[in-house]
Amino acid sequence: MAPVDRRRPDLPSLVAGIAIVIFGAVLLLDRADVLTLRFAALGPLACAVAGAILLASGLVRRD
Amino acid sequence: METHDDDDATTPPAGTPAGDSDPTTPAGDGTDPSEAPTTAGDAPTGGAAHSSPDPGPRRLYKSADDRMIAGVCAGIAEYFAIDAVIVRVIAVALVFAGGAGLLAYLAAWLLVPERDAGPSERPGRTATIVGAVALVLAVGAVTSFHGGPFGGWHWSGPFVSLVFLGLAGLGIWYLASGEHPSVGGARDVLRRAGFGLALLAVCGILALAGAWATAAGGGIVVAGVVIVAGLWLVAAAFVGGARWLILPALALALPAGVVSAANVNIDGGVGDREYRPVTASQVRDTYRLGIGRLVVDLRDADLAAGDRRLKVDLGVGQAVLVVPRDVCVTTAAKIGAGDVAFFGRDSGGVDVDWQEEHTAPAGTTRLVVDGDIGVGELAVTHEDPDRFANDHGGESPQPGNDACVGGARG
Repeated sequence: MAPVDRRRPDLPSLVAGIAIVIFGAVLLLDRADVLTLRFAALGPLACAVAGAILLASGLVRRD
Repeated sequence: METHDDDDATTPPAGTPAGDSDPTTPAGDGTDPSEAPTTAGDAPTGGAAHSSPDPGPRRLYKSADDRMIAGVCAGIAEYFAIDAVIVRVIAVALVFAGGAGLLAYLAAWLLVPERDAGPSERPGRTATIVGAVALVLAVGAVTSFHGGPFGGWHWSGPFVSLVFLGLAGLGIWYLASGEHPSVGGARDVLRRAGFGLALLAVCGILALAGAWATAAGGGIVVAGVVIVAGLWLVAAAFVGGARWLILPALALALPAGVVSAANVNIDGGVGDREYRPVTASQVRDTYRLGIGRLVVDLRDADLAAGDRRLKVDLGVGQAVLVVPRDVCVTTAAKIGAGDVAFFGRDSGGVDVDWQEEHTAPAGTTRLVVDGDIGVGELAVTHEDPDRFANDHGGESPQPGNDACVGGARG
């Protein structure tokens, strides 16, 4: 029986956390007038966040 | 611990010839020697390890090999030994018959197991009953939709809505937790549906709260909460994960992002506002409204010659600026999502930038309009605002902005 690596992080949580931190940072910079968030950027950003989370979840289920 | 009621109730012990022998009868005692247990481990079951296994009752599974969406139609076709195309055609027809096909498909998707599902993933009796009730309600909805014996949509509608809600809860909880919706008894299925609906409600509240707070000027706080939720997820990933937090965090972040991208600001209040200044001194530099319809009618304001700057700031709704015909208008407008209607010409979509620079003849008035609309419309017109509200978008564009140098419609 293969040993279980207890230190292996939960991939969906990790990827979702990183993606949400990035999204929140963009929101913060927009509200602070450091950058201007527009729909042309929000659309791809939201798709990237959702895609990364779904991809991570799918990879875990394949394991 | 998960239970599998129907398996226990209907499936005979492995290796036991159904209805053929008493499992308590010692092996070899007057029976075919080939049915005697060959190992000690087999003895308690009272069956032979190498006899042909009893297939048990025929079961409905989702197809893993021939799937268009989830393999439901192909699974039904395999169950009835017919062509899957026939089932798919019927399913598509039912989708357009009051949505019954959609409901039935969703129920089957959630409650019918995969063929290769392990014992812990097989549906319990409760799931089977819920699935059957969903299908009966779906058929009832169709018959009532067509004036059948079920007495109309008012009979079946609320039940169908409840089933939809329950299925939505199961689906959301499945996405959030990974727990298969159909496994376990009634309490497990209801628990998952309840958790899913609660999560849906929490997400809805968070989405509204995040959008409202961002539009009201609290975007920095919302962004901070989103970042903290993300950091929590990262930290939790190393101690078992916190996947349940993903949906609420996204529910908070995405609407806030939409509000930020549209640059919606609801500081100016909610409702309809109409301004009709009758002197130049009554004309404000800025007209602001959070949500609603903002009308600024300058036709009676005797504007002095030269440039007059005017800012129109609207969060969500429609802003109508009515200008006298002897005033040249130059405009720079940003619309997050919506359209600009400038004397009959318009442009719509998301991230709309409208720049229109004109020069006024000497000794005349030039109105320099700075429009900032989050979601909605900015209209600049000579028409009566009420008439404009009813007529704009018609086939004949209105003339306008003729007071500028070189004509009007730049």
